[in-house]
Amino acid sequence: MSRASSLARYSFWQLRDFAIERGVAILIIGFLWGYALIEPIRRAVGTSLPGTASPLWLVAMQISSAIVSLSVLIALNGIVSADRKAGYYRFLFSKPVNPVLFYAQLFFVYMVGVLAAMLVLSSLLHRILPAFSIPHFLLYTALVYIAMGGIGFFLSVATRYDWLTLAAVWLGARVLRGIYGPGNDWRSKLVQLLPPVHRLDDVANSLIGTGSAHMADVMWLLGYGALFFALGLAALRWGSLAD
Amino acid sequence: MAKLSPPGDTDDSTAALVIEFRNVGKTYRSLLGNSVKAVEEFSLVVAEGEILGIAGPNGAGKTTLIAMMLGYLRPTTGTVEINRVSARHYVERHGIGYLSELIAINPKWRAETALVRFATLAGIAQSEIPRRVGYVVDLLGLAEHRDKKVKALSKGNLQRLGLAQALLRDEQILVLDEPTHGLDPVWTQHFRDIVGELRRPDRTILIASHNLDELQRLADRVAIIDRGRLQRVVSTTYENTGDGSTTQPVATRFRITLASGHELIRAVFPQAEDAGRGEYDVTVHSLPELNAALADLIGKGALVASVIPERSVLEQQFREAVGESQ
Repeated sequence: MSRASSLARYSFWQLRDFAIERGVAILIIGFLWGYALIEPIRRAVGTSLPGTASPLWLVAMQISSAIVSLSVLIALNGIVSADRKAGYYRFLFSKPVNPVLFYAQLFFVYMVGVLAAMLVLSSLLHRILPAFSIPHFLLYTALVYIAMGGIGFFLSVATRYDWLTLAAVWLGARVLRGIYGPGNDWRSKLVQLLPPVHRLDDVANSLIGTGSAHMADVMWLLGYGALFFALGLAALRWGSLAD
Repeated sequence: MAKLSPPGDTDDSTAALVIEFRNVGKTYRSLLGNSVKAVEEFSLVVAEGEILGIAGPNGAGKTTLIAMMLGYLRPTTGTVEINRVSARHYVERHGIGYLSELIAINPKWRAETALVRFATLAGIAQSEIPRRVGYVVDLLGLAEHRDKKVKALSKGNLQRLGLAQALLRDEQILVLDEPTHGLDPVWTQHFRDIVGELRRPDRTILIASHNLDELQRLADRVAIIDRGRLQRVVSTTYENTGDGSTTQPVATRFRITLASGHELIRAVFPQAEDAGRGEYDVTVHSLPELNAALADLIGKGALVASVIPERSVLEQQFREAVGESQ
């Protein structure tokens, strides 16, 4: 039995862990949050205005993009650091397993899990807001997962407090860009190196709404996430598994 | 107790398996720049088929050494190689049966499910997993606990589960860190029987333990470390290796119990101290001296009931080694 095939078989357990430990939480939070904010508006205005002209549309756009970000945060929380903190790595990696492949697989298994959870939630939303496109929403979810998840993955390899640091990086990038924004001084140039979270709003509106987005924005987000994901894998390869 | 010879899945490699620590050092550095040397200039070769004990006081560096051997920690200096490849590379290719001092298994998993997961990762064929898991469950007496969650297991049962996952595959290397920690006397004895049966010419076993009596019984040699340094390597057998690399054990104080002939003891051991109830403490300088004196004593008509070292030879060496380093 090759090491690759045994690791692939283990993906079943990884997906099961995701469903039990994170998937259910994502579904409950997403459903309650969406229901609490969208249902009163739906009752008030109904679906008399079709499609994107409905007031419901704007609320749905905001909520759905926020739920995606929160879901990615929940999914990536402790993806590597939890095993190190609890010491689970000791038995896992005394087996003939490459930790880099193990966690790379885990990252993508969790991505499948997040997409499945978003499929369920977006299907519910689609029932009350038919203009809401499930494929466009899943495309946006995948983009955010790579963009935000890549950074989260790196932070989970690099620090024990990945949830906190990811939230700080995400929020900090927005705040600093708000303060220093586009400009020619060194601080403005420096904040350009921060995660391009400011591009997410535009991408969310266009990608969920129309299924298309500025390629430059998408590439920035994907590239940034992919770069940090690769850095995380490199840190796993060349760093120590134990603290 | 089940037989310890799971069929199949043996490594085809015919090369002699050698674990080599070469000038290994590990220094932990804090963000503030403080550093602690956990291991220093540690060099040792462990041969195929050998059972090596690792003994040392708390904080001596035993666990750090094992973590480097499994590739979980990178040495600050030196190298750890198994079969002439880096330890991490070897583990990723072949796997090692490892029981850690801290049994860390997700508490939400059920005992049997945990073993199935580890068996999957170990590369055991899907069709073989139930048989292998059943085998280690029987071997470690976990049948009645197989459906319990890990968090519901007692310390002893958790220790047995840890040992079970280490024995899932027919590994060539076994590393057992404080293996009898938390086991009751019955299971401690079972564990010793298991290790005895695990001994094989092509299998290398490392056992780190505080329990010197256990190492004396199980290991061929014991590496005594203290403050991160190898103090000495002690043979637990009386066979003379002749290579000078291993300290031969020589106990110096023995307690002799005589069933009869008490009046003869001082004729043979003039310095013998009467410990009461027919027991005498004697000091000798070598095993030949002890044997000759005992032969003389028996020849004079005394009936010797027992000869027990005041301390095990390993304990004596340990005290000397750790005492010397301090």
